[in-house]
Parts: sequence; structure tokens; C-alpha cells
Amino acid sequence: METSGNRRLLVAWLVLVAITLIYLWIDDSADDSGVLVASTAVTVAAICLALVKFRIILREFMDVRHAPPKLRRLTDLLVIVIAVSLLGTYLVGRAVA
Amino acid sequence: MAATEDATADLRAEDDVERVPGETDMWFFVFFESLVFTSYFCVYLYFRTQDERAFLEAQSALTLPLGILDTIVLLTSSWTIARCVQEARAGRHRVARQLALLTVGLGLAFSALKLVEWVKLIGDGHTFTSSDFMQYFFFLTGMHAIHLLIGFVVLGVLVHQLTDPEKRRQETIETCSTYWHTVDLFWVLIFAMLYIVR
Repeated sequence: METSGNRRLLVAWLVLVAITLIYLWIDDSADDSGVLVASTAVTVAAICLALVKFRIILREFMDVRHAPPKLRRLTDLLVIVIAVSLLGTYLVGRAVA
Repeated sequence: MAATEDATADLRAEDDVERVPGETDMWFFVFFESLVFTSYFCVYLYFRTQDERAFLEAQSALTLPLGILDTIVLLTSSWTIARCVQEARAGRHRVARQLALLTVGLGLAFSALKLVEWVKLIGDGHTFTSSDFMQYFFFLTGMHAIHLLIGFVVLGVLVHQLTDPEKRRQETIETCSTYWHTVDLFWVLIFAMLYIVR
């Protein structure tokens, strides 16, 4: 029997797969005739999309959506900490290089 | 009749009750391991920015469609295990067990794809010591593989729980599911770091 919960999981999976396929377009547009080139825009987009997927998996598949507010806030904080760490390291690294 | 009553109650209750999925200890693991992997990624990203050309050259050896396929397989396994938990909650343990076994199959498919990729890369001369990028590649995918192998043990516990009504506990089922999802969570980040980041 299909429930709204099952449908929601299916939609979440479809969104996650769609975002994954977007990477194909990003990758294709990023490179110069098949030669890989450095790109801040691609790197930032890649990290942001990965974290969008990370949060969807937490919220929908891991059922954090129905968790107490403390766990919901902690998982959102985790996503922010990861985002700041990764983007910050990358941008600082580029500035230093 | 009891199973139907349980199923109805569970479905009605699903959106009403706030609960920590599985055991709290597993969530400590999720947070801790996420931060550990984040630290690995930060080291990788920093050193990548200091030698971009060499990293890009080595990265070109990777096959993006294979990485995409890996990702979709693991995302699907997350979906099947999430459905498994829903079905178990609704008292439909036979269906839940089938979904758990499907998750095992998808995990094995991912393992096979990863093995094929490693063999191809090593055959082409890309090894742990051939470049800095490949060192990070084999380290990160190797660490992920260790978590994946532990995941198979966890899925075994889950299948056993679903098979044996005497031993079955919903909290254990959800805890096992939470662990398996972390395998997918970390891969989502690893894939972006290794295959897409420029």
C-alpha cells in the first residue's frame, strides 16, 4: 500500500539522482575540450550541491524530519560547519597559492 | 489482525511523533565521523589549491560516469533501507526483509564497481604513490570501503532482526539503517571532492 511517506521517499530519491546528474553538465561545461581546468565556480557549486544532497539524506532518508528539534538543529549545524570548513579551506588555499 | 492494527497505528503515528531514529549513540557516531571526514577533505582541498595543475592532471584519469553510477547505486541503497524501516514500522517485516536484502545487493554492486575502478587505475599505472591526487583518492575511497565493509556486518544484523520475531526490535532496525545511511552520506561528499572539484 502506497503511503504519503513512501511517495515522499521516492521524490527525495528522484531529486537526489537529478542533482547527481547535474554534475555531468557541470563537469562538461567546466573543462576545455576535455582538458580539466581549475575553476572556483565549479568547486563551490560541487561542494554546495553535495551538501544539499547531504541534508536531503539526513532529513528524508534518515528521518531527521521527524526527530526532536535538538537533533534537527544539530544536523543543520553540522551541514553549516562542513560547508564553512570546506569552502573556507578552499578559498583560503587559493588565496595563499 | 494484530499486524494490521500495528500497521494502521504506525502509519497514523508516523507524522505525529517526534523521535530520535534509532539509538542516540549511533548519532554521536554520525556527527563524529562526519567531522573526521571533513578534516580529511579540508587537508585535500588545501593541498590541491597549492598544486592545481598536478592534481588536475591526475584527476583526469578518473571516469566520471562511473562515479555517477556509484553515487546512484548508493543513493538507491539509502532509499531501499529507508523504505525497509518504514515497512518494519508498519509491521510488514517480510517486505522489510526483502528491502534489506536489496540494500545488501546494491552495496555489493557498489563494491564491485569500486573494485573495477581501482583495478583499472592501478593497471594504468595510477597507484597510491604515483601522485598526490591518487594518494588522496585511494585513501578516501579506501576509508570509505572500510566503512562499507562494516556496513555489510550491520546489514547482516538488520536482516537477522527482521527474520527472527523473538529478537526483533525497531530501535535496532533503525540504528542499523542510520549506520548504512552514513556510508551514502560520506560518499556524496567524497564523490564531489574527487570527481567534480576543480
